Amino acid sequence: MKYRSAIVFGFNEYAKQIALQIVHEYESFVVFAMNENERQAAETAGFETEHFDLGEDWKSIEERFNPNDLIVFCALDNDAENVFLTISLRSTFEELPIIALAGDQESAAKMKSAGANKVMSILQITANVITEMLEKPTVTEVLHDILYENSSLKIAQITVPRGSFLVGKHLYDIDWAGEYDVLVLAIVDHELSATFSFTARGHNHHIDPDDILVVVGYEDKIAALTMLMGVENV
Amino acid sequence: MIGRWIVGIAFFLHASPRYRHSKKFFHNLLENPSYPYKKFFDYTMMVLIAMSVYILILHVKHDVNPQWLFFNNYVVSLIFLVEYLLRLWVYSDTSKVIIEEYEHDLFLQRPFRWVSTLRLIGVKKLEYVVSPSAIIDLLAIMPFFHEMRLLRVFILFRVFKLFRYAKSLTQFLSILSSKKFELFTLAVFATVIIIVSSVLIYVMEANNPASPINTLFDALYWSVVTIFTVGYGDLVPVTTEGRTVAMAIIVAGIAVISFATSIVVSAFTEKLDEIKEDKLIEDVSKIDRFYLICGYTPLAYQIASRFKKSGKKAVILEKDPEKVAQAQKEGFLALAFDSGSLHSYHALRIDFEKQVISVILLQESDVYNIYTALTIRELSKNVSLLSILVHNENRRKLSLAGIDEIVYTQELIGLISKEVSGRPVAFEVIHALRSENNGVFMDEIGLDSVMAKRFFDTCRLPLFHKRLIVLGVYKTKEKMFFFNPPENVVIHERDVAIVIGTRALIDEFKTLLHKKGRR
Repeated sequence: MKYRSAIVFGFNEYAKQIALQIVHEYESFVVFAMNENERQAAETAGFETEHFDLGEDWKSIEERFNPNDLIVFCALDNDAENVFLTISLRSTFEELPIIALAGDQESAAKMKSAGANKVMSILQITANVITEMLEKPTVTEVLHDILYENSSLKIAQITVPRGSFLVGKHLYDIDWAGEYDVLVLAIVDHELSATFSFTARGHNHHIDPDDILVVVGYEDKIAALTMLMGVENV
Repeated sequence: MIGRWIVGIAFFLHASPRYRHSKKFFHNLLENPSYPYKKFFDYTMMVLIAMSVYILILHVKHDVNPQWLFFNNYVVSLIFLVEYLLRLWVYSDTSKVIIEEYEHDLFLQRPFRWVSTLRLIGVKKLEYVVSPSAIIDLLAIMPFFHEMRLLRVFILFRVFKLFRYAKSLTQFLSILSSKKFELFTLAVFATVIIIVSSVLIYVMEANNPASPINTLFDALYWSVVTIFTVGYGDLVPVTTEGRTVAMAIIVAGIAVISFATSIVVSAFTEKLDEIKEDKLIEDVSKIDRFYLICGYTPLAYQIASRFKKSGKKAVILEKDPEKVAQAQKEGFLALAFDSGSLHSYHALRIDFEKQVISVILLQESDVYNIYTALTIRELSKNVSLLSILVHNENRRKLSLAGIDEIVYTQELIGLISKEVSGRPVAFEVIHALRSENNGVFMDEIGLDSVMAKRFFDTCRLPLFHKRLIVLGVYKTKEKMFFFNPPENVVIHERDVAIVIGTRALIDEFKTLLHKKGRR
């Protein structure tokens, strides 16, 4: 689901990089700073800012954004404050997608418990990337191109619409690589539950409406498949 | 005239590659613990010593084949003699000393003083001859000791020779030698007590006809047996005075034993860390290929854990002993060395070209990472260096320091955030593939000529059909990635295939790609 607004809480180096990457993806984007230094730094970097403290009742968010069309990134310096911020936001907004940064696995588990939808464990992600760079340099390069570069090869998640020609078929009934020039990496039942299963596991999954296919392919081929599946707003 | 001859021979030997090569070879074989063939030489010598001692023991009460006796007395002794002379030879560089002295005299415009030069060489060689290990070697050579009963004591020197070849024994000696002063004090203390007690017990007992202690030697024997708390009981004092002396000596004996025990124990305690470190250094020198992690941080823990999990070797260098202890507790091979110091790498004898797959700089400071990178670049221009970047403004400095790969965590998180917000499931899928915790892996397979030829045939096998995802092939020559390659793409040697599947399936795929002639 594509959201219209985004908030990044905090403005340390992580928050700054997040802001730089996502600012153009949303119609409205604001940095919520906890202190004056952060606020000034964010403004100097060209971002719209707002002040907050951890005791907020989040009226400012309700007044300014539509919580159903908003995504937030909790990127405070301190893991404990980040957990508190997450739980505080969740207590006010039940459905708000919250993405939180965690220093380590221990904090990541706490942020999950506090209600974050996705937790990015900095240490684990960095360790994964470094070991991959050293042991599988080609994989790293290809993944980097697919994920972050302006290569025409992309990874996409496509939700199977009702009435699609895929509904009722089994995953292995279709020659994805031959017919559509895409590869299906995983399939998931519901987007937010994130209980995906890899197609390489060997389960010949029955495709139902609202299943999500994670596919890799060239942009035009993915677009063609998406259209064929009957997805609106490609 | 003689001087000119000496200088001529010295220059000839110094310039002779054959001579230098031989000398270096024997030096390595006899003295260099890191020389790979030294251990074979040491084992051979240990076997010879064991055989020699066995023959001598057997000969005490049994008839031994004369050939074995000849072997023991002359062949083994001759081998020991040759070894002794070789050690004497490699101990110092005589030709170098002569040349240096000659050039020195030449510079001072005076005739070459060959007599003083020979004296200098003699003094140097004498240094070796009078060293304890050389004395043991010399005594162990004596081929005739078994012929005279008293000289059988020389058998001990052959056993002592074992100290040269067994590292743990050498270590034991070096630990004791660190307590030379204490041991000397103990020896003086024990000697004084033995002499005093011997004299006292002799004075008290010798004139008593009922006493078994009649001579000064009896008194000395009794004193030694008593003071070291053995107390055979074959000689006992019978007079009240003698028994009083005995009581005092028994108490003194306990003091001697306690003193000796405490010296040995404290020597080992003090050297324990050093022994452990030596062992770790030895372990590192034995690893064929490993990743060198500089700095033990939480990120280093994560990376080392991943290497450990995948069976890859990693060595951690960290100067903070507390962090090193923590890393060792976690089961990692960690050493308390400053990764920014050249001295550390010399002490560790790390061969960057042969042993190190890649150096990973994970200290939480760009300053230290750059300093370490420059230190390592002094030792190796080719080893791959990867570093984390703490502050983005230092990126160029890291590049200038010769670091090949730079990881800026903050930027990485920024890029990933975009993915997470836009395509959360796709992010989860890629993250799961990267963390390798779900039983499905993304792997790269470097293809040789056989594998390249069999690539598409193997992909078509029913076993892999649908279940192994061939994401694509990276064409090394063209530096291009071919996604979902059609069969008309020509795969070459050194191209890299990227596949996704379970570990078992990927391994089977690799095996079948390798197998010539199947299908």
